[in-house]
Amino acid sequence: MRYSNSRFGLGAATVAALLAFGSAHTSAQAKVGVEGTFLIRGGTVVVGTGERLEGTSVLIQDGRIAAIGSSVTAPDGATVIDATGQFVYAGMIDSYTPMGLAEIGRISTMQMSGELGQFNPHLRAMVAINTGSVMLGITRSNGVTSAITAPTGGIISGQAALINMDGWTWEDMALNGNAGYVVNYPSAQGGGRRGGRGFVGFGGGGEDREARAREQLEELKQEIRLARSYHIARQGGLEDEDLVYESMRPLVSREVPAIMRVNSQEDIEGAVALGEELEINIIIAGGRDAWKVRDLLAEKNIPVVLGSIRSTPGQGLPYDAVYAQPGVLVAAGVKIAFSTGSASNARHVPYHAALATAYGLSPEDAWKALTIWPAEIWHVDDEIGTVEEGKLANLFVADGDPLDIRTNVSEVFIKGRRVPMDDRATRLYEKHNARPKNNR
Amino acid sequence: MRTPVMKSAGLVGSLLLALIAPRGVDAQDLAITNATILTVTNGTIENGTLLVRDGKIAEIGTNVTIPNGVQVIDGTGMFLMPGIIDAHSHAALEGGINEGSESVTPEVKVQVRNDDPTIFRALAGGVTAAHLLHGSANTIGGQSAVIKMRWGKSAEELMFKEAPRLVKFALGENVTRASSTAPDSLRRFPKSRMGVEHTLRWWFTEAQGYRATWAAFESDGGLEPRRDLRLEALVDIMEGRIRVHAHSYRADEILMLMRVAEEFDFRINTFQHVLEGYKVADELAAHGAHASTFADSWAYKVEAFDAIPYNMAIMADRGVVVSVNSDSGERIRRLYQDAAIGMKYGGMSETEALKMITLNPAIQIGVEDYVGSLEVGKDADLAIFNGHPFAPGSRVEKTIVDGIIYFDRDQADTLEKLLRQRITTEDQG
Repeated sequence: MRYSNSRFGLGAATVAALLAFGSAHTSAQAKVGVEGTFLIRGGTVVVGTGERLEGTSVLIQDGRIAAIGSSVTAPDGATVIDATGQFVYAGMIDSYTPMGLAEIGRISTMQMSGELGQFNPHLRAMVAINTGSVMLGITRSNGVTSAITAPTGGIISGQAALINMDGWTWEDMALNGNAGYVVNYPSAQGGGRRGGRGFVGFGGGGEDREARAREQLEELKQEIRLARSYHIARQGGLEDEDLVYESMRPLVSREVPAIMRVNSQEDIEGAVALGEELEINIIIAGGRDAWKVRDLLAEKNIPVVLGSIRSTPGQGLPYDAVYAQPGVLVAAGVKIAFSTGSASNARHVPYHAALATAYGLSPEDAWKALTIWPAEIWHVDDEIGTVEEGKLANLFVADGDPLDIRTNVSEVFIKGRRVPMDDRATRLYEKHNARPKNNR
Repeated sequence: MRTPVMKSAGLVGSLLLALIAPRGVDAQDLAITNATILTVTNGTIENGTLLVRDGKIAEIGTNVTIPNGVQVIDGTGMFLMPGIIDAHSHAALEGGINEGSESVTPEVKVQVRNDDPTIFRALAGGVTAAHLLHGSANTIGGQSAVIKMRWGKSAEELMFKEAPRLVKFALGENVTRASSTAPDSLRRFPKSRMGVEHTLRWWFTEAQGYRATWAAFESDGGLEPRRDLRLEALVDIMEGRIRVHAHSYRADEILMLMRVAEEFDFRINTFQHVLEGYKVADELAAHGAHASTFADSWAYKVEAFDAIPYNMAIMADRGVVVSVNSDSGERIRRLYQDAAIGMKYGGMSETEALKMITLNPAIQIGVEDYVGSLEVGKDADLAIFNGHPFAPGSRVEKTIVDGIIYFDRDQADTLEKLLRQRITTEDQG
């Protein structure tokens, strides 16, 4: 059951609304970074693989990390940034946000992440990203240089994109335009509890919900089976193109995963079984009960994008269940990534990780779950995630541990561009901090 | 003038609790030794000892003699700070925190329940007291309750008895129901910020008349005037017997409320949320208003779009007493993280940042003589962390209220313990 209009992607009205918003706030928008050759000199380079290189310089040229070493010198015309006593880190990644799709809450024209209809695998978040979003500047100022931006709604919401927090256009910003298909796995549990039933008289009885979920699950599977048939037919020479099934070929050929939004144990197990049955790759997103099935997830090599750590534990669970789960998953061999689910506070994703380190996750693994692990999950680990030669220069300079709230970030580079450190918040701060005191 | 009769205990809640929550043990004299003590008002004491007797702080220092029979908690490597105080919470309240049927309802009071697991989770985040407010659906809402996190005790016993009376005001989008899609015919006055100002001025004018009528009766006698609980509460507000905590966002409405209050010769004690407080920080300081805000929440609605994390630092720098609050069962678990945001944005000192979750909220809710800093004679409301509360990787190990340990990580159910049990069960199965 598809909505015919949705086949044409996000409409002109969306783009117009986003542009109108953008132009009204031009002064608040962050500037695009400055291109050039830069030498970050003499800092401690935290590679991200466990190595720390003291007294080491990083040369940025043509958007990439051209050289790392203690004797690297600045070529003619390079801008030298003294990082003595400072640390150089790979840019952090928030693995689930509505970045660029949603701006101010409660304003419907600024919440354009969801389309009508149930099956929209052909919709691309990337093409609707507002490069004028003030969230971009706010986010990157704290060293968060990339984020998954995800569509919402329906059973298959569309294609999530991995984007940089800087760029002239969405093409310039995109690191991976199809990082995964967002799937809202049809859940039989209202409250997400295993075997739980819905409240009678509130959104239908439990049995109704279970029946509807079973029906929707069959519809989902059928769509994927049809997509596979289409994929085989196209390989065999079918010339007619179907926009929807064409968009699912990377899914059924296992090039791009389904991002399964699930929380309960039953739904996580269901999503894993679906992936096995239909031979597609999956990622668990949310994953509140993932710790209960950690061995299964480790065995199947299925990563978990954790829902916001800034949440409360499910009913009956220990007070520290949300904070302690990351450590438990990593100890079991599950690859994890942190996410805020937020555009406005993606900037503070390292403090989500900090909470996890108080309850069992090692600081080294917390760092990986903000950098190289999400880079691997989103298939961009050859481009970002560590400070290594040849990678894109997505990195930042700070005066301490990025997980420590008291640490200050002084420089941010995205694709080798040195981004200005002022943003909408700093401009409001500077304006009002400059008011003469007691000027009433 | 008589005060309205107020109920404070949720009887049903206390009965339920007997079934699910452990009763706390009685107060015991105890000493925390060898800890780094963050006193908030008298600096940091390394390798210090804090002695608790009869639920109060008896001694603090590096040379404290521990009497016989006192329970000793080894604080080596630990950080001891005052119990965290949340100046804005809706936890532990009976459902329906809004008497939003009318625009002005200061005669009602929130009803406390003692079985909300948020109380325990707050303790696990080092919180020992909270201000429980009415909602923000009306211009003048109901009266609040202040509780201590005495998990396991009855609703009556949760009450912070020394706390003054407090009432919630609200401005902006919530009271005008700006997000409402109902037709105008189904909406109530006010629906604009202009209407909110008029609502305030109209009701306080009524209250002035009511006060004059009673004054005339008391001096001249005659027929006793008819008692009106709503106007009586408004008179109590004007006379300073009830403190005003006002939900607010934009600079214009914050300034407006201060001017209305000044016109009727009273003061706004604390602006809540006050996300644009940094734009009127000097006016806040001059009026004598405090500010209780969020650390980093913003953009969730239009009136929250100019919110900046520098708000705390700018207001504090200009002489406003600033606290950072939760307004949430989630944020109340990690207010120590939110306080640290004040250091990052705008460069607050560590002590100033700590004050935002200890002494300053205590001042705002009127309990600073009892809690909010580690000083001899104050209540023994304490949080023990395994590292500096602002450092990543730090967590609360023990939380103490009135000298009683209400949260102890060693005793609490944790995910780690649950996993051990499950593995054992599976092995046996």
